[in-house]
Amino acid sequence: MASLHKHGISRWFAYSPPVAWTVRQLRELLIGALRQGPIPQHVAFVMDGNRRFAREQHIETVEGHNMGFEALARILEVCYKAGVKVVTIYAFSIENFKRSKHEVDALMELAKLKLGQLAEHGALLDRYGASIRILGNRELVKPDVIEAIDKAVSITAHNKRAILNVCFPYTSRDEITTAIKSTVEQYSTPLDSLQTPSKRTFSESHITQQIRKQMLEEDTDGRSAPQESRSTSPSSLKEAKSVEGGRSSSTTTAINSSDKDDCHITAPNFPDPETITAETLNEHMLTAGAPPLDLLIRTSGVERLSDFMLWQCHENTSIVFLKCLWPEFDLWQFLPVLVEWQWQQKKLQEQQKSRARSKAE
Amino acid sequence: MASTGITKREALAFRKGVVNGKEMTPQEREAMLKPFLPPAPVKTSSPDRSTLKSPKSPKLSQRTTPKPKPKPTPVRALLHFLLYSIISFIFSIFFRFRRSWRLFTYKVRGVLRHHHHTPEWIVNDVKNVEQLPKHVSVVLDHREDDEDQGNAGLEGLVQDACEIAAWTASAGIPLLSIYERTGVLKNYVPQLHAAIQKNLESYFGTRRRPTLTVKAPHTISYSPPGTPSSEPTENGSTTSRPHLTVLLLSEHDGRDTLVDLTVTLSAMAQKGDIRKEQIDMNLVNAELSDYVSSEPDLLVLFSPTVVLKGYPPWQLRLTEIFHLPDNKGVNYQVFLKALKQFGKAEFRVGK
Repeated sequence: MASLHKHGISRWFAYSPPVAWTVRQLRELLIGALRQGPIPQHVAFVMDGNRRFAREQHIETVEGHNMGFEALARILEVCYKAGVKVVTIYAFSIENFKRSKHEVDALMELAKLKLGQLAEHGALLDRYGASIRILGNRELVKPDVIEAIDKAVSITAHNKRAILNVCFPYTSRDEITTAIKSTVEQYSTPLDSLQTPSKRTFSESHITQQIRKQMLEEDTDGRSAPQESRSTSPSSLKEAKSVEGGRSSSTTTAINSSDKDDCHITAPNFPDPETITAETLNEHMLTAGAPPLDLLIRTSGVERLSDFMLWQCHENTSIVFLKCLWPEFDLWQFLPVLVEWQWQQKKLQEQQKSRARSKAE
Repeated sequence: MASTGITKREALAFRKGVVNGKEMTPQEREAMLKPFLPPAPVKTSSPDRSTLKSPKSPKLSQRTTPKPKPKPTPVRALLHFLLYSIISFIFSIFFRFRRSWRLFTYKVRGVLRHHHHTPEWIVNDVKNVEQLPKHVSVVLDHREDDEDQGNAGLEGLVQDACEIAAWTASAGIPLLSIYERTGVLKNYVPQLHAAIQKNLESYFGTRRRPTLTVKAPHTISYSPPGTPSSEPTENGSTTSRPHLTVLLLSEHDGRDTLVDLTVTLSAMAQKGDIRKEQIDMNLVNAELSDYVSSEPDLLVLFSPTVVLKGYPPWQLRLTEIFHLPDNKGVNYQVFLKALKQFGKAEFRVGK
C-alpha cells in the first residue's frame, strides 16, 4: 500500500493477472498453514491510523477511511479462513462524534453503503458463515443508518459459524454502565410474576398468613404486632410502586406490583442481589456468549485502549500494538503477530504442564 | 500492492463499485467475487468446523463427500503442515535471537544510564520530558520461584515496590499505584510503609525525604504520625517537602468491585432508593474513583508482553500502556523509557 502513488512497472507487475493469481495462492497456502497451530477464538481490532494514512498519502480523509475499509475486508477474510470464531472491530467511538460533521457524516454514509451492499449478498456471506452484530449505543445513530444495520444483522442472523462484532458508536465505559444498569433492572424486578407459582406449591405469603391467623386465635392481646407489620409493608410497597410508576418504562413491573396490591401484603419477592457475580455482569455485556478475547491488535503505534473492550481484555488477552497504519494492515503484518501468539501459547502450555508435573511430584 | 493478490480491475471495482465506467449490479459483483470465496460449507464439509457439531462426523463426512474438492486434500494438508512447521521453526529461532538481542541492549543501556540511587540523576534523566504523568501505575508479579535475580515472593515484591516508589518520588510524580494480582501487599501496609520510607531515605537522605502515605482501597490510609510534613527544620521554617502516595491494588479491585457496586445498586433499587435513570457513567466513575483509584495516566508493565492480568478495567480507559518487549523484571530502564514515551504521546480523545 505504500506504493499508492508509485506508478510504473512494479505496480503494473503486481496487478497483472498471473502475479495476482500466484499471490492469492500463496496467501491461501499461508492461511492453511496457520490453521495447523492454535488459532485465537476471538480477535479484536482497533482500526487506527486511517486519517494519518490519508495525510501521509495526500488523499482525502474520507478516502483514507475507504482504504481502511478495504484493509478490514482483507483481514476479515484472513481471520475467517484461518478459523477465528469472533472478530470484534472498533468502528466508531462515541467520542468520535466530536470530529468534524463532514467526517462523521461521511463515516455514517460509508457504514450505510457497505452494510447495504452486504445485505445484497446474503448468499455469499453464508459461505463464510458469519453473522454481523452491532455493539453500541443505538440511540446515538440516525434512523436511516439503523435501518441499514438492522437489515444487515437480520440477513446474517442465521449464520452460526463465525461472528463479526462491529462496535458502532461504542465505548467500553458505556457498555459497562449499561451492563450494570440492566443487571440492576433485572434484580429489581420482582420474581414471582409469571412462572414461579407453578414452581412452588406452597406460597410463603400464604404460610405467613396462616401463622398470623393462628397467632390471632391463640392470644388476642398480641394483635397489635401483626397489625403493625401489616400497616408498614403496604406503605413501603406503595412507595416502591410509585417510584416504578414514575419511570413508567417497563409494563411488567407495574403489573406485578398491582396484582401484589390486591392479593399479598408482604414485600415483593426480589432475587437476592448477593447472587450477582462477575459472570452475571459478563452476560449483560454486549459481547455476551462470545469466547474470551484472545488477541487485541491496535495499529498506528498508539499504546492505549481508548475505551475499547476494557472489561473483555483486562484478564488474559494478549494485547499487541503495531506501528503500521490500519490501511497498510494485511496478512503480511498479521502473520508475524499470529505466529508469535501461537509461539507464546505453546510456551504457556509447556509452563502449565511443567507446573502441574512439579506439583504432582 | 503485490501483497493483496487482486488485479487492478477488481481493486477498482471494490473501491468505486465501477467496472469499465459502469456501475455494477449485485449479480456482477457476485460473479467477480466467486474465485475469492471459500468453498460452500454445505457441500465440502468444511474440515475442522464440523467437529463442533458432532464428535465423530468429520471423518465420516469427508469420506462420504469426496468429490466436491477439486484438489486432493491429503497433499494440501501435508503441504500446510510442512509449511506450518517451517514457519514456526524459523520464527521460533527468530524470536529467541530477538529476545537475546533485546535483553543485551537493555543491559547495555542499563549500565550506561543508571540512577546511582541519587534523585538528581533521575531528575536529570527526566529533565527533557515535556509532560510528566500525575498518576503512574505499575504491575508487579508475585513469583513463587526466582529464576533469575532473587526477587521471589513477598520480599521481592516489597523490594520492587520500594525501588519504584523511590524513582517515582525522584521524578516528582505524586501518585503511584501498584497493582499485584493476589493483593498480598495489602496485608502488610505498615511494614511496606516502613520499607519504602527507609528506601526513600537512602535516596534522599533524612532531611529531604518526601513524606509518604501508603493506602489500599476501602482502608484508612497509613501515614504514621512520626512523619509530619510540617516538621520544623533547623532554620525554624517549614519547608514543603514533596509528598508521595502509594496505592495498592489487586485483582479484587477490578471485576469484583464492579460486581460489588452492582450488588449495592441492586439492593438500593429493590428498596426504591435509586431509580434506573440515576445510574449513569458519572455515578459509576465517581464511585470507582473515590473508592478504588482514579484513572492512571501511565501504566508501566515489566512483563515481556502486554497482558493486563486482571488490572481494574474501568480505570484503564485512556491510560498509556508501556512495556519493553521481552523485558523481564523490574528495572529502571523500563520506568525511564515509559516516562519518555509518555512525554511524546499526544492525547486526542476521539479526535
